[in-house]
Amino acid sequence: MSRTLDDVLFSDPNPRVEAVARAVSVGVAILLLGLVASIVFRFHAAGQLEARLWQYFAWQTTWAFLAKGLLGTLASAATAAAIALVLGLVLVLGRLSRPRLTRWPATAVVEFLRGVPTLLLIYVCFLVLPSLGIKLSTYWMLTLPVGLSAAAVVAEVYRAGVLAVPRGQTDAARSLGMTEAQVFFVIVFPQALRYIVPALVAQLVIVVKETTFGYVVTYGELMQNAKVLVANYHALVPVYLVVAMLYCLVNYGISRASRRLGRP
Amino acid sequence: MESVLRLLADHGPAFGQALLLTWKLTAVSFVAGFALGTVVTVARLFPLPPLRFILTGYVEIFRNIPGAALLIFIVFALPDLNVLIDYEPSVILTLVLVCSAFTADYLRAGINTVGGGQVDAARSLGMRPMSIISAVVLPQALRAMVQPMTSLLIALMLSTSLASQVPFPGRELTTLVARMANDSAAGMSAFAVSAVLYVGTALVIAWAGATLEKKVRILR
Repeated sequence: MSRTLDDVLFSDPNPRVEAVARAVSVGVAILLLGLVASIVFRFHAAGQLEARLWQYFAWQTTWAFLAKGLLGTLASAATAAAIALVLGLVLVLGRLSRPRLTRWPATAVVEFLRGVPTLLLIYVCFLVLPSLGIKLSTYWMLTLPVGLSAAAVVAEVYRAGVLAVPRGQTDAARSLGMTEAQVFFVIVFPQALRYIVPALVAQLVIVVKETTFGYVVTYGELMQNAKVLVANYHALVPVYLVVAMLYCLVNYGISRASRRLGRP
Repeated sequence: MESVLRLLADHGPAFGQALLLTWKLTAVSFVAGFALGTVVTVARLFPLPPLRFILTGYVEIFRNIPGAALLIFIVFALPDLNVLIDYEPSVILTLVLVCSAFTADYLRAGINTVGGGQVDAARSLGMRPMSIISAVVLPQALRAMVQPMTSLLIALMLSTSLASQVPFPGRELTTLVARMANDSAAGMSAFAVSAVLYVGTALVIAWAGATLEKKVRILR
């Protein structure tokens, strides 16, 4: 029998205590409803409930535009995730290799990309590289920095997974006469992947969040399209509220899916 | 290399100030976010379903919302609701809300490492629930969350770059680089200097976290 800590902590056989808890619950519920009501009233008092500010959400074109933005977000996030998964593998191979010539540069690249804000990398691609004669499309100005930042974290996640695979697996594979590459790709890495699926999906959520910076380089993702809607309808609160909810829903969905994957 | 030295000679103090502002934003929002997250976690333990419901919603929203979306909402949309917050407090508020949601998540995971048997034992000694939480559960839970909190602190330090998205009078490192890249040709060296400062800070935080972790971890 395993009870959760919450159950043990406050469980009380005394019916009077339970009655008090119920009464307090009702009180809290009323308080929270009051809070919600006061927020709604504030919206009303500030004139934010006027039909003019909300009616375009009934139009199909608005949602099509937002969907296009979401598609842009997902397209950038998917490519960034692919970059992160592949480059992360290259970096972890370098980091775990024995020769210093590969180990030290890989370690340096990982520490560098992990320690620098994605936004700073985006500004470099956006403001600095053009002055050096390197011109990227807005899609790559967003996707490349996000992917590079994530690659460093993914490399660390891979490393944790590889180190978690019991050493006996490597020894056994080597004694069968496998080459080092076979040992890693056939024996160690597939097992490591199973440990780290939840951490990888958590990183995917971060990638989706970071594509929000698309508006910095005016790449047509959800946040950028939201800005266009705001400019068209002069409705800051409704648009940003709806867009924030969309982001939350997407990320919450990814997290939920990872929880299901994480369960064996 | 030469251009970096010239940049440091010309703008050294500006980088120093930017680094200090980055550190200040990080420290203030981490302390406040940590405290708020702890309060949220403890409040979620009470057997009050409506409170649990609303706090679970709070944690899920601020864990999943992109920092930039939250900051833009606070800075540009809230004034339409007659809520005016200055730029610097807005940045800090954004970071505090996000930090508190992640803290609540990690602390809850830390609490889950404490066995129910210990709570049973404490109750049979006649301890009240609140003193069980503060004397038995939290000390162990906090020790179990050093590693994720170290990562969170580094992530928060990097998130202070969000300040470059609002017209802030002060300049933290990312704002400084963006301005310099706009105004002069020193963009690449400015980026190199600020990257060294960011990476250095991250390495120091990681080292401090690992040292603390070694000191307080509970071997089970």
